[in-house]
Amino acid sequence: MQKKRVLIVEDAAYMREMLAEMLEQEKDRYEVVDFAVNGKEAVEKYKELKPDLVTMDLAMEVMDGIQAIVEIKKYDPNALIIAITALGTPEQKNAALDAGAGEYLWKPFSIKNLFDALERLQRNGKE
Amino acid sequence: MKYPEAIGMKKQILILSLASLLCVILALYFASRGTTIVYTHLFYIPIILAGIWYKKKAVYLALLLGAVYIFVTLFFIYPTPTEILIATLERAVMFVVVAYAIGFVSDKWAKGEENLKETKEYLDNIIKSSADAVVVVDTDGTVRSWNKAAEDYMGYTADEVIGTANKKFFAEPEEAERIMEIVQRDGELKNYRTIVLNKANKPVHISISAALLRDKNGVPIGTVRVSRDVTKEVELEEKIKAERDNLNLILESMADGVYIVSKDYEVEFMNKVLIDVFGYHVGDVCHKVFHNREDPCPQCKNTEVMKGETVRWEWHSHRQNKTYDLVETPLKNNGIISKLTIFRDISDRKRMEEELREAEERYRIIFEHALTALCVLEESGIISLVNQEFALLSDYSREEIVGKKWGDFIASEDRERVLNYCAERRAGGAPASCLFRFVSSAGEIKQVNAWIEPIPGVNRCIAALLDITELKRKEEELRETCERLTELDKMKRDFLNVAYHEMRSPLAPIVGYASLLESCELPDKGRRYLANIEQSAKELDMMINRMLQLATIDGKKIVLVVEEVHLSEVVQEVVKGVEPAAKKKNLVISMAVPEIEIQADKEKTAAIFSNLISNAIKYTEEGGKIGISAEDTGEDIRVCITDTGIGISKEHLPKVFERFYMVDTSLTRKPGSLGLGLSIVKEYVNLHGGKVWATSESGKGSKFFFIMPKRQ
Repeated sequence: MQKKRVLIVEDAAYMREMLAEMLEQEKDRYEVVDFAVNGKEAVEKYKELKPDLVTMDLAMEVMDGIQAIVEIKKYDPNALIIAITALGTPEQKNAALDAGAGEYLWKPFSIKNLFDALERLQRNGKE
Repeated sequence: MKYPEAIGMKKQILILSLASLLCVILALYFASRGTTIVYTHLFYIPIILAGIWYKKKAVYLALLLGAVYIFVTLFFIYPTPTEILIATLERAVMFVVVAYAIGFVSDKWAKGEENLKETKEYLDNIIKSSADAVVVVDTDGTVRSWNKAAEDYMGYTADEVIGTANKKFFAEPEEAERIMEIVQRDGELKNYRTIVLNKANKPVHISISAALLRDKNGVPIGTVRVSRDVTKEVELEEKIKAERDNLNLILESMADGVYIVSKDYEVEFMNKVLIDVFGYHVGDVCHKVFHNREDPCPQCKNTEVMKGETVRWEWHSHRQNKTYDLVETPLKNNGIISKLTIFRDISDRKRMEEELREAEERYRIIFEHALTALCVLEESGIISLVNQEFALLSDYSREEIVGKKWGDFIASEDRERVLNYCAERRAGGAPASCLFRFVSSAGEIKQVNAWIEPIPGVNRCIAALLDITELKRKEEELRETCERLTELDKMKRDFLNVAYHEMRSPLAPIVGYASLLESCELPDKGRRYLANIEQSAKELDMMINRMLQLATIDGKKIVLVVEEVHLSEVVQEVVKGVEPAAKKKNLVISMAVPEIEIQADKEKTAAIFSNLISNAIKYTEEGGKIGISAEDTGEDIRVCITDTGIGISKEHLPKVFERFYMVDTSLTRKPGSLGLGLSIVKEYVNLHGGKVWATSESGKGSKFFFIMPKRQ
């Protein structure tokens, strides 16, 4: 089975590290291709690296996650993106899903939560 | 005194002269024939006649004739023998004696007759000159006497009627017999009214009195009738009667009560109105009839009215509780004064007057003491009346205000608008009030809300002014406060949102790394520590979530996302979440939730259960029991969550659903509570159209109930 190439978009360094550590736990299935610290960088890196999956923090400087999702989806409508945020309002969840995120993950989350969401994202994305 | 002669004076003188001449001629003839003694018998004819006619004056004729006789005898028998002379003288004396004797007797007889004649003449004169007609009618009905007055009104002269039947004079001929009968029967007739026809055949009303005439033996021979033309009186009487009938008709038909009483209080007349009320009582005593009193009423005005005064007065009958307006006036009838009383029951009017007065007084008091400034505006815009409050508002005395123009109290920039509003209201425009700036005597501006109401029927209106200066100021204050609070609220929500985000962000690596640690090699101790970290992180997460829920409620952002919800599933999920906490305290959770499908917001329904069950766990000591039951009541579901915890005192029970309300605020209070849980429960249950309440007994546990409609 081909490893899934994951782009981690997160402005907080410890969060980037934590996500990478979590994915490391399933290194047979997931491989972190790169990190982006804001939306703008995320869009650029997506175009450059063409990852299979994107974990997208929503609250970021320069360009926020919602906008980045829109931009990526514009470039690649089949992009599989999982939105991650601490702000758990239904409005924001809807905004992210409307923008094109396939899954939505609330902070804080356990490793199990992350992999469940990634599984669902791939399953639904294939359908 | 003259009286009619049987034979005229001239005739008498002629007869006497001729008789005397004849006697002289005869004397001369016999003397010339030489007869010694002149035949003297013829001489007695004139002498007797003269004696009869001229009484003792016949002596002069006798002396003349005697002288003629002596002269003739002496002339023709000359020389005259003595015996012839004596015989001649003897005869001449005889003439005188006879003349005197006859004259004497005649005189005596004539005297008696003259007296009789004088009496008759006297009576005739009376009859003639009587203003009344005097007519004598004999028993056969034939007119025997007819005087001047009778002529006057009947037109017939005495000569025309005397000797004719009187029957023809009467309009009804049988009247003649009737009158005769009455007079013969009664001997007299008094003031009998009948109608006769005069010569011109016009009816004449007469009043007739008659007496029976009898002869010396007492046998009736006729009637003497005195009558008078009373046509004028009859006409007048008829007029009076007609007037009286009219008057009675008027009095009868009057709506007022009308009666007439004599000075002796006898009722002479009652009109229909009175008869209807009291019955017919003409002839009875007024105070008895109307007032049921034995004596005249104390208020009676009879004395004044009988003196000729007209009295108008008002009388209140306490017995009937009615007020009457009375006009009492003297009424003259045939010289007798009666009292005419017209009265009207004015109780209703009086009552209405009284009611009107009371109403006016009532409204005056309301007007005067109203806490709204009120004034009456004339058509000209002049203020004619104000109340106390208006004086206070304007800071003028009432006297100063009255006569002032209404416009003077309106700030110049508002004046035109307000006056237009007034004109519109006067013209019956749509009801509306008007806000404007009112200027008091000191020039102080006051915000007023005015209402102008036209007074129906007059060209005035009432202006009601409410001083809303203070109100406006308060309103402004409130508005400012509200704005500030809104601003604050927004800040608070923004802050909470940020705080929420900022607090959860560091929580993410705690939870994340803790989950990563689980897969690492750890000693047992480390694993226990890790479990504690994870538990605390979870509690912190829950607390932060509640804060978010609250922030959303306050922001009024909540909308129910209604879907089909399996109640038991929701409850099971919630219980699963709290199981570790329950296990820790050895609590037994029993569930009796049937399979019910309801329409609800799944997340919020879960939050309701979660908050209530967490609370139950939190406040129940080791080994306690928690019960969750639900039932389907048809329209609603009814849920009950019981615990065997510390309970809530009566004092706190009504307030537990208030936000931030904490039963125990001391440092020793149960940890993990911000006092938000129950307020969120209340909000969410209410949002679903339900109701939540609690019962509790301190030390024995609490019961929380809520009902929620099954269909949204």
